[in-house]
Amino acid sequence: MAFDPSILVQYWPLFAQGAWLTIQITAMAFVLGYTVGIVVALIAQIPNRLVRILVAAYVGVLRGIPFIIILFLVYYGLPFAGIRLPAFVTGTVALGLFASAYYAEIIRAAILALPRGQFESARVVGMSPLQAMRHVIAPQILRSLVPPSTNMTLTMIKESSVLSSITVAELTYQGLIVQGNTFAPFEVFAAVTLIYWAITMVVAWLAGLLEARVGQAQQETIIRNPLAAEFLSFDRRPVR
Amino acid sequence: MSFQFAYLLSVLPTLFAAALVNARLAAIIVVIAVLGGTALTILRSFKIAPVNAIIAFLISFIRGTPLLIQIFLFYYVLPAIGLDLSPEAAGIAAIALNSSMFITEMMRGGLQTIDPGQIEAATALSLPRRAIWQSVVLPQLFRRILPVLINEITIVVKGTALLSVITVVDVLRTAQQIASASYRPFETLAGAALIFLLMNLVVIAAGSLTEARLAVRRG
Repeated sequence: MAFDPSILVQYWPLFAQGAWLTIQITAMAFVLGYTVGIVVALIAQIPNRLVRILVAAYVGVLRGIPFIIILFLVYYGLPFAGIRLPAFVTGTVALGLFASAYYAEIIRAAILALPRGQFESARVVGMSPLQAMRHVIAPQILRSLVPPSTNMTLTMIKESSVLSSITVAELTYQGLIVQGNTFAPFEVFAAVTLIYWAITMVVAWLAGLLEARVGQAQQETIIRNPLAAEFLSFDRRPVR
Repeated sequence: MSFQFAYLLSVLPTLFAAALVNARLAAIIVVIAVLGGTALTILRSFKIAPVNAIIAFLISFIRGTPLLIQIFLFYYVLPAIGLDLSPEAAGIAAIALNSSMFITEMMRGGLQTIDPGQIEAATALSLPRRAIWQSVVLPQLFRRILPVLINEITIVVKGTALLSVITVVDVLRTAQQIASASYRPFETLAGAALIFLLMNLVVIAAGSLTEARLAVRRG
């Protein structure tokens, strides 16, 4: 079968608009999801059993249901409550809500990973509470926050494709529209695939820069033992 | 409009029956993905540069593009090159490919935590390569990756809902069909959501049991 680039030449504005909307929706949902995630993670710090159960339920329910069902629940649920919003707003809210559960868990784990007494020690050596937060607590939390947050953000970019099923004109939806017009699935999905790949690559690269700034990422263990490397590693290194 | 709990209860039996489709597909996919992921892991351990480069490229592709698009690739694009798959087969193939790539990556991480001394001992006993994989590496590796593997299984279960988009009549599609007849989408979808929660709780509980049993066996 022949690859016909003329389709892409003719329809590239649609792909570009779709990609731009995908980026916008993910960015807005990221802000919403992270904000709610921080709030939920802070609420989880309250030492009360009922609060803990409620937080666990919030996180567990949102993580245990496919995003496509969360999306439909929000899509049909808002009008149910008398709220009418444009589809892309509904989709962004659903995506943010979905992500908030994962971000809450990530933030909670980062707080848990802090060794105890860091704040007090910083105060003892004469730092103000603000200085202690800025120089001692924040860097350590950020270090354990960035890698998993990156992962979840990439997941959000990918999950946003599901918004096509509530007629939000993001990249996947535009792809399906062009496919309906041209009946050229190969060209259309090759284009859509490559654009998604490019977006996630760029975001991963930016996150890598951020990771380099906030501290050392986890180094991969190098298996130096030649006998063991035979089985436990995938890269060929000269055995010294 | 008010939320009618009684209506939700009335549609649950129908939805449960449809959920068996998701459970069956997820089970098939998990088996293929675990076998595929393990095969890829062993293949990568041979350190054949071009092969590993191709696998790395595939992993990057699978991790960098939406699962929905991967499902579309199998469903819309393969027929264009003469491979007509049924919606179910396309769905199984797409999600299993996706999942096996994630599983081989988990395994790569898990391999680094295995004590090199184990391999030394096995080599000293001059065990053949296959026996080392079978009796030394893989059992430990599966134990190490079990928690992340359970998580991956829940992702697969959730992934089967996307197959409703390519006309597989699963829980979600059944819920949509019921809702379009009764004009009660919210309750029906809430029922579908409940069923997914239940399925994933079962997966997590089974995973915890398995972990506990493995811990006991280790003594």
